[in-house]
Amino acid sequence: MIIKVDREKCAGHARCWALAPDLFELDDEGYVLPGDITVPPGQEALAGRATRACPERALSIGED
Amino acid sequence: MASQPKVPDHVPAHCVGAFNLYKSPEMRPTPFGDPFAAVAKLLDGPAVFYAPETTRDGQGAWIVTTAEEQRNVLQDGASYSSYRRIFSSAIGEDWPVIPLELDPPEHGKYRSMLNPLLSPKRVAALEPFVTAKAVELIEGLKARGTSAEVMTEFAFPLAVSVFLAFLGIPDDRLMEFVGWANELLHMGPAERTAAAHKVLNFLEGMIAQRKEEPADDFMTFLVQAQVEGRPLTDQEIRSIAVLLFIGGLDTVATAIGLDLYFLARNPDRQQELRDNPAILPSAVEEMLRAFPSVTPIRTATRDMDLGGCPIKKGDLVSCPSMASSRDPAEFPDPNTIDFNREDNRHTAFSYGPHRCLGSHLARREIIIALNEWFARIPPFRIKEGTAPVTFGGFVFGVENLVIDWS
Ligand code: HEM
Repeated sequence: MIIKVDREKCAGHARCWALAPDLFELDDEGYVLPGDITVPPGQEALAGRATRACPERALSIGED
Repeated sequence: MASQPKVPDHVPAHCVGAFNLYKSPEMRPTPFGDPFAAVAKLLDGPAVFYAPETTRDGQGAWIVTTAEEQRNVLQDGASYSSYRRIFSSAIGEDWPVIPLELDPPEHGKYRSMLNPLLSPKRVAALEPFVTAKAVELIEGLKARGTSAEVMTEFAFPLAVSVFLAFLGIPDDRLMEFVGWANELLHMGPAERTAAAHKVLNFLEGMIAQRKEEPADDFMTFLVQAQVEGRPLTDQEIRSIAVLLFIGGLDTVATAIGLDLYFLARNPDRQQELRDNPAILPSAVEEMLRAFPSVTPIRTATRDMDLGGCPIKKGDLVSCPSMASSRDPAEFPDPNTIDFNREDNRHTAFSYGPHRCLGSHLARREIIIALNEWFARIPPFRIKEGTAPVTFGGFVFGVENLVIDWS
């Protein structure tokens, strides 16, 4: 499972990071780093919740 | 019958709504009111409608109610400009507050410069100050008695002193600042103009001082900051400082006040937080969803359709966060306040490039304020014989909130 990141849409709410700080990395401005994120096995549910937490709809779940 | 408010020719009659963010009955100062419930009812109607006289200056605007359509507006800075002279109009000038009234891509240059100062990680460094201030204020209340008007004795002093510390302004002018903010945000045109001049004079004095004697604070940062390889102009510095003043003073205090107003009337919900303190962060998110205070407003830059309505270039488009945060398509059972709500993508801090720059600080301030409050104050209620007054308008809120914990 991967998390697709639409960096253009990220507005720095950082709700993903608040829920799953180990999955998401923020830059110095507090915005998510660009590039898809590979979800380690066992963390699919957390990844789903963090993805749904994005107010901008900048995150989505995809297949790797 | 009262005279009919003016509706522009391009607005079809069926698009005109009766609701108004200032003048509808529930928006006026109301003892024990619930302006949020009144706005939530808009979700039974169309996603977009035209409200005559719904801004502070009595202008008409399209009101967007649903989360999806608000996202479409607020994420699209090309079609919807945020330039409205919210501050400079008060003093008969014409300049944008920065970054709020700049549109992308210009906006991004300043926003990138400011973001690191209020990023989630940086905000953590301010927490000890917030905690110490909250404790000091609450212990002060307890030393004085078993009831207090918490807006003026707790919420405002806390929010304002955090803000002043961030800017680098000494605490002794705290109540003066509270007064200015109140005149600027909630009073008539004459008070607003006078307050705007007072704020500007103060900030200009401070800019000059920090140029002479740098300190470790936000004003010094601005004086030394670079944009596109050059220092900021004095005009840019004051445009930024003024916005922080408007954005950071009243909103955090309001949020703390609205949360205490809800909790004071709902002892079972207090108990829920006492039984399970770990849910406080999620409870605060839920109360930000249920009681958000700000209405972003944009100006259409071209003719277009929005939610089936004909928007014309130059029209104002208003996106009340209290409407979108109660959208049933986004939040199941939107009028139920569920401290454990999942997928809480509330709109209290807006969407898109102008997402509240202070949101991470604001969240921590509210959480710390309530956490220290619950650690020190036993079950509490509205003091008998008093009536808190809620109001709508530019920033929703509550006043005369006398809380009793005897
Ligand atoms: C609970 C408290 C707060 C709420 C509900 C709130 C709400 C908002 C909203 C809705 C916006 C977007 C306005 C728009 O798009 O037109 C905004 C922007 C902004 N807020 Fe806040 N705010 C809060 C606290 C703060 C604090 C503490 C600060 C300062 C430290 C602050 C500084 C700003 C700034 C500078 C902007 C403009 C950002 C930009 O245009 O890029 N806010 N706020």
